[in-house]
This record gives sequence, C-alpha cells and structure tokens, in this order.
Amino acid sequence: MRKLKITAMAFLLCALLVFTAGCGKDKQAGDTAKAKSLTFSWSKDIGDLNPHLYSPSQFFAQAMVYEPLVKYAEGGKIEPWLAESWVISQDGKEYTFKLRKGVKFSDGSSFDARVAKKNFDAVLANAQRHKWLELINQIKETEAVDDHTLKVVFKNAYYPALQELALIRPLRFLGPAGFPDSGKTSEGIKKPIGTGPWVLSEYKKGEFAVFSRNDHYWGTKPKLEKVTVKIIPDGESRVLAFEKGEIDLIIGSGLFSIDSFNRLKSSGKYGTMISGPMSTRTLAINSNRGPTRELKVRQALQHGFNKQAVIDGVFSGTEKKADTLFSPNFPYCDLGLKPLEYSVEKAGALLDEAGWKLVAGKDVREKDGVPLELELCFESTNVIQKAVAEVMQGDLKKIGVSLKLVGEESQSHSQRQKDGKFHLVFNDTWGAPYDPHSLVSSMRVPSHADYQAQSGLPMKAEIDRKIGEVLLSTDEKTRRELYAYILGTLHEQAVYLPVSYQTNMAVYHKNVSGFSFSPQANEILLHGIEKN
Amino acid sequence: MKWYIIMRLAGLVPVLLGISAIAFFLVRLVPCDPAEVYLRLSQVPPTPEMVAAVRADLGLDRPLHIQYLDWLHKALQLDFGLSFATREPVLAEIMRCFPATLQLTLASMALVLLISLPAGILAALYKDGVFDQLSRVLAFLGASVPNFWLGFMLMYLFSLKLDLLPVLGRGTAAHLALPAVTLAMSYAATYTRLLRTSMLDSLGSNFVLYTRARGLRERLVLGRHVLKNALLPVVTAFGMSAGHMLAGTVIVENIFAWPGMGMLCVSSIFNRDYPVIQCYALIMALIFVACNLAVDIAYRFLDPRIRLGGGR
Repeated sequence: MRKLKITAMAFLLCALLVFTAGCGKDKQAGDTAKAKSLTFSWSKDIGDLNPHLYSPSQFFAQAMVYEPLVKYAEGGKIEPWLAESWVISQDGKEYTFKLRKGVKFSDGSSFDARVAKKNFDAVLANAQRHKWLELINQIKETEAVDDHTLKVVFKNAYYPALQELALIRPLRFLGPAGFPDSGKTSEGIKKPIGTGPWVLSEYKKGEFAVFSRNDHYWGTKPKLEKVTVKIIPDGESRVLAFEKGEIDLIIGSGLFSIDSFNRLKSSGKYGTMISGPMSTRTLAINSNRGPTRELKVRQALQHGFNKQAVIDGVFSGTEKKADTLFSPNFPYCDLGLKPLEYSVEKAGALLDEAGWKLVAGKDVREKDGVPLELELCFESTNVIQKAVAEVMQGDLKKIGVSLKLVGEESQSHSQRQKDGKFHLVFNDTWGAPYDPHSLVSSMRVPSHADYQAQSGLPMKAEIDRKIGEVLLSTDEKTRRELYAYILGTLHEQAVYLPVSYQTNMAVYHKNVSGFSFSPQANEILLHGIEKN
Repeated sequence: MKWYIIMRLAGLVPVLLGISAIAFFLVRLVPCDPAEVYLRLSQVPPTPEMVAAVRADLGLDRPLHIQYLDWLHKALQLDFGLSFATREPVLAEIMRCFPATLQLTLASMALVLLISLPAGILAALYKDGVFDQLSRVLAFLGASVPNFWLGFMLMYLFSLKLDLLPVLGRGTAAHLALPAVTLAMSYAATYTRLLRTSMLDSLGSNFVLYTRARGLRERLVLGRHVLKNALLPVVTAFGMSAGHMLAGTVIVENIFAWPGMGMLCVSSIFNRDYPVIQCYALIMALIFVACNLAVDIAYRFLDPRIRLGGGR
C-alpha cells in the first residue's frame, strides 16, 4: 500500500508540474511581439540552405540568404542585381557581366568574379543533378576576366539564360568560407553564407529558424532586425497561432484554407492581400486515351464546365477565371486567344457531332454501345482539387458525361500523371519565373503529364520541334511567332482546361505594414516590412 | 526470473529480424520511386536521366536483396544510413525527435493515471451514483471524441479564448499541457472504466468478504486487497498502451507542431524516405516488445500465482 501511495504521489507531482507550468504565460510569444522582429510560419523545416541544391532546403529561406546575378521583376522583366550590367555577344553565346562593387558576404568577405566563378564551377561539377535546367546544360565555361567581370560562355544561344540565372536555385552565391574543404557543394556546405539581406542566426531543426539582418548587406537594409520562422505543419493550427498572436504573418496559398482566409478577412481585425496571377490551375486532357482522343470531346468538356461557378463557390473570388494556359501577363503569352466559354448547348452539340448520343432512358451518352465515361484524377489530400472535381462532375453530368473521380495521395497521383493513365488530371503550371519557357520545354519530356496529354495530337512532333527552336532563338520576332504557334495550337487542340489563375494569399496583423508579393512564386519579400 | 528475461530478450532477435525484413520490403511495395519523390519535392521535373542519377545517389539502383543485406549489416552496427530527404544520418534524426515524443508520452501517461485511478476507484465505490454516471459520460466522450477535434477545441478554448497556454510548439512546460491532455483523454476514459469494472469484480470476491470478516479496516481492504487485484488487467492494458501512445502521437504532434517522431514519421512517409521509415518501424517494434516484457515482469510481481504456476 505504501509503495502504491508513493507511486501515486510521484505521478501526481509530475502531472501537477505539467499543469502549474502550463498556467504560465508563453515567453516565446512575448519575445516575438517585440517591434522590429517578425514571426511567420512555414509547413516544413528550412533545410540546410545549400544554395546549389534542392530539397530539403526551402526556396524562401534560400532567397533570404543568397542573391542572383540578375533579378526577375514584374512581367518577366530582368533587372540588374549582383551584376550591374551585362553585354550579350552578337551570336548570343557570350554573356559578360559587370559585377557590383562593394558587395560583401555576411561574414565580411568580398564578392567578386573569382568567387562567382567558384560557385558556377561547383554547380557545373554537379551538372547531372541540374539536367532539368537547360541553362546548366548550355553553359560551356566561365571566366573571371578581372575582379568585377565575369564571362559566361554558352554552347548555343539560349534566350531564357537571364530568366534562369534569376532562379532561386541552383545558381546563387555561397561565400568562400561556406564551401566544404573538397570544394564540392554537392556534398554539403559548412555554413550558409550569402550576400543576401538576412543571415541564419539561430536554428532548431523541425522547430524554428531565426534570421537576423545582414550588417554587411550592400543594398538598402531591411527595416526588421529579426525574422523568426516557426515550423507548423497543420494549416488550421497555423491560423489559431496567428489569431493568438504567436505569428505575425501567414503567406502562401497552400498554407491555409480559403475559408480561413475569408473568415480572417471578414473579421476586419487583420490585413489581407491577394497577389496577381502566379500560375495556372489547370486540367490536362489526355489526347491519347479513350474518348478524349477526339478533339470534339475535349472541346465539349471545355464548354461544359462552368468555371465561374468554381471561382465563386470554391475560391470565393480569391482566384480569377483562367481562359488560357498561361496568364496574359506572362512573357509571350498575350496572344488574344479566344476563350472556350461555358455553354451547355454548345457542349451537347459537339458531343452529338462526335457521335456520342443520348439514348432514351439513360443519363450517359453512348457511342456504339460504349458509355461516355471519363476519369478525373486528383490528389486526395488536396481539398481544392477535390472541390473543383466535384463541381466538374456535376457539370458534365448535365451534358451526359459520366466523370469518375479518382483521388490518390500525391506521389501516386504524380505517378499517374507520368504514366498517362488519365483522361483528365490536375496539372498546374510552374509559375514565374519558369512560365512559359521552362514548362514549354518540359512538354517534350515523356515523364510529364503535358507530354502524355499531348501525345495523341497529330502535330505533336511539330510542336516539339518548335519548342526546341524557340529556346534557341535569338530573334525576338521569331520567338513571338514560335510561341504564338505553340500556345495557339495547344489552345485550339483543347488539351488543357485552364480553371483559374492561382494567386498567393497573405494575412497579417495590423501592426505589420509594407508587405508586398514577390513576382517569383517561391520568394517571400520581407525587405520592406515594418512592425509597429 | 533471470532466465525468463534472458529467454524473452533472446526471442527479440527473430522478432526484430522479421520486422526489419517486413518493413524493408513493405515500404517498397508502395507505388512511386523515392528518387522521383525527391525530385518532385525539389520542384525539379523528374526526367529519366535525373531519376537515374538520384537513384544511384540513394543506392536504389542495386538489387533489392543486396540493398537489404547491406542495410541489415550496417543496422547491426547502429548505422541506419542517411535520410533520403535530408541526407542526415537516420539515427541522428530519430534521436533528435525521440526525446520530444518520449516527453509527450510520459506526461500523457502521468495524466492518464492521475485521472483514471481516482475516477475508476470512486466510480466503483459509488456504483450507479452520480460520480459513476458522470465518469460513464466522460468515458464515452473520451473514447469517442477524435484526437484532432479535441486538440483544436482545447487550443481554441485555453489558448485563444482564455489566453492561458501557447497554441503550439515546444519550449516551455506550458507548451506540453495541451498536447499531453489531448493524447491522454481517450486512454484515461478507457482506464477509468476498466478499473471500475475490475474493482467491482474484486469487491464481489470471497477474499474481500473474508478480509472484512477478519475485521480489517475498510481502507486496508480496499488498498491492500481490492485495488492490488483490480490493478492487474489495468497494468496489462497500460503496458500495451505505452507502446501505442509512443507510436500514436502522429496526429497530436502534427496539430501542435510538436517536433517528435510522429511528425518525422508523417514527413518520411510522404517523402518515401525508406531509411527513416525502416528505422522508425524497428524502434517501434522494439518499444512494443519491451513494453510487453515489462508488463509480464510486473505481472509476476503483482500476481504470485503466475510465478508459482509456470515461470522459472
């Protein structure tokens, strides 16, 4: 009995400790409330911040620490950054960059052409890992002409070179002290040392990361002194933490639900912001499988789907209706293509013309006794895809098409995209700065849903050939014509059903000001933010 | 007893070997190539050349049996390889997360005992009384309310409305309160009812009648005789639950951003991080077997009949 009592007392004490401690105020929350310090959350750990590699490093964190030679601005405009100016040779194969003087890494060391070349060489030494990026495949060699002049020689004239140099990875610059002894950044880095406005000052893996202002920063220094990133995997928990004041800002369209965004917005207690189009939420229609092989069926699906109902009902107006694969504000994409508007009558007529007829007593059209049944594949954990799919299922039923919804977890869904085992599949565009050139380039790769969807088109070989030409074209007029052919043909052939132009959403406390969206989908602009 | 423990520990070897093989081959039945998953996570289009390069990097280009034997050979030296996702040693990743999960589980277990022991005893002593009815309602609620819902409700009430506790994260002891309560509630409900039933069984036994006939004080009857016997099934269930709680923190950890094994497990499954999944499965198997063993040993102390009946 005595032992039992002792054990019970021990447990009681333990539990009391938990609860009495629990009644204290949250010290961390108090810290984050300090002015000049901002806390926001992300769903994943920031990673090791190797500028020359990919996952698990998060784009936004890499962009805070490292900078590019040139910057991607609104509308795809390229602006000077670590390179003040550049000259492109007549044949388009040599780019000579004049590097900005006085730029220092966060450890105080200088950024010059030798360091820049060292970074290029480290990336090129691991070229196999960057094969997806045509820029890396096209670079022949680099040369540090003098302290502030870097020459990059290409194998061919490659017009998106500057756009791809602006990417967050893999071509940003690590300070010499961050390199491993072997010089191979593919094996890891010693420390994340960049020229960017922020320095990683404290980090607890899987819990939080603290970035401090880089005192050596060459440009206008950030107004905030400290930014804390808390790792919160769950979206609803993130919203509760925001409402409690434990985080100051939520940014990212996938990081919280539209319902939560609308609720926070309508409360009037917080500031909210929606970006312009960042990418396109689209469905790829397989031109090489079952009934969707027929152009008229694909066109009928476009006319039979009420996108505006999705915009109003699913997105509550936070996204805009998409009529073309790429938003017209992207480079080479303002082609004036005619939208395939919602019309049940037109959709029905097209299916009739294609021989898919409604039989008396049946809801689903048939052709030679075969019912018009299609599969729409989506990620089962993606509530937006599911909601859009359900609206579409209802719409297509009205035109006599049976749409079976196939929900799978994300990796299985990706596998299905790759294998082409779909009639319709969610397949978003990549967003700025990849659109349109990188996505168009990937349309030639069989492991992409785009390739699979286009593989039944009679002019597929011609489309691929023109894609090859446009990437190497040095003449602006020719490039425009080639893009007009590629995007125009895909539009006419109705292999893409654009649903909406995806936006980025942000919600912040009213003491946070100066927030704006980056033109790059994966970058978070913290530079101008102030906290009162 | 010593032999018994040695034999049980020896039995661990084939169990862990079996688990390691099952975990190794089972995760490979899941569709999707981890190399492709890695590339997609990096937002890199998975071209065949890129996939081949990453597969070679991750050692997935070798025959399956070679991969298994190589993994087993290293695992015997406590080298569980590198995580596919982070390229960090797996054991270091697990050890980074394990203390958080252990802390959460221990706090929850303490709460379970704190709630279920007095509640179960009182419910049995005042059978069909107000307290018994109340504990019945609470037990039904505790057993039927899903973890994630309870977690959000607690967050909403104690963090947002009453401003008493932080919403999420790990740091101070205050951060522990809500996840521990969320994890403990369903177990506390079960044990309250289990202890009540067990107590009532014991109270109706002849030996209790005899102890009362001997004129022993009621406190002594209840404490030394009734409770000791009533605790036997509770100890069994509690021992089993320790493993379940350690392995069952997945939802709670993800809701409360508690950086433990549950969060690691979920991200590893999504990332098809085979080495982490395999190591996680092995450690969980080890914990379950250890808990069973601890229960069996505790049983032998609590119930002399087992010692006399079979054990050496």
